[in-house]
Amino acid sequence: MADQILDQIRDVAEGQIDFEGQRFTEFLSTALLSLVGALSFIIGFIKQDIKLALMIGLGGTALTMFIIVPPWPFFNRHPVKWLPAGGVDKSSSEGITVDGKVVG
Amino acid sequence: MHSTIVRAQNVFGFFTTVAFVVAALIAASDLTVPRAPKAEVTANSVQVVKGRPHYYSTKKEEYAVIRFTMSADLSSLFTWNTKQVFVWVSASWPNATSTDGELSNEAVIWDSIITNPSADHLMNIGPAAMKKLVKSAKGKSIDPKRGILALKNQKPKYQITAPTGKLAETNDVVLKVHYNVQPWVGVLTWTPQIEFLGWKKLKGGVSKAFALPAIKKKETAEKKA
Repeated sequence: MADQILDQIRDVAEGQIDFEGQRFTEFLSTALLSLVGALSFIIGFIKQDIKLALMIGLGGTALTMFIIVPPWPFFNRHPVKWLPAGGVDKSSSEGITVDGKVVG
Repeated sequence: MHSTIVRAQNVFGFFTTVAFVVAALIAASDLTVPRAPKAEVTANSVQVVKGRPHYYSTKKEEYAVIRFTMSADLSSLFTWNTKQVFVWVSASWPNATSTDGELSNEAVIWDSIITNPSADHLMNIGPAAMKKLVKSAKGKSIDPKRGILALKNQKPKYQITAPTGKLAETNDVVLKVHYNVQPWVGVLTWTPQIEFLGWKKLKGGVSKAFALPAIKKKETAEKKA
């Protein structure tokens, strides 16, 4: 019981996402941060306001953190389909074979 | 990107790169703004008095009190990346021991910090003056008008002397205006000695040469006599 709860907590804290999600977060974090940097410079330069540029940069980074860091269900939509264990035939998948005899 | 910690590290890591690049761009954007500062300065009343460097000193030195009039237009120094501009007026005179006039003495007689509105909160002034300063640029992110200075018969902040303690009857004293631009990001720039891209030298900024008078007699002594 305690082990189960601990495992659950560990899973939540670790926040794993699937391979497609990993690819997507990699792209998304790079794109968002670059966009935020470009926007903060351009808007700051046009408005001639360095505080605005700083706020856009920091706010955009916080937003990116919020989007990327938690394991949103969105990043877990392509779970890995594992092959059945041990290269066992489907025909003999019921029961365990020991010395050519089906046990259990 | 498989776990929360790795994602946080990657996002933060790339953020530092982006922050550095944006800061470099901001620093470089200074070069796109032409600077054409100009200043005129003239000495008004000049007197030399005897005094002590501090209360318990037994040494008497001569101090020059130089009142001056200055009009300066430093408004082109104020951009979004300007934190503050430091302006100062110095008096310089040739060294008596050098014949070619190469060595010269220079002492600051007045200075001032002009903040951009983005740096008003950094000024070391009282709450009432701070309120007035912030209010003067309400709703403005930059305020080039602060770069326009008009001082009339300004009393010097500092009474100057020389290492020898002798300063009366010095000839060829000139006043010079200097400035230092302190940006939010980038390098400090001083009164330029060369022209660089759109950055011009300070136009004017040097007064006509004048002479320091003889020591002023004590008025109290005259009264007694």
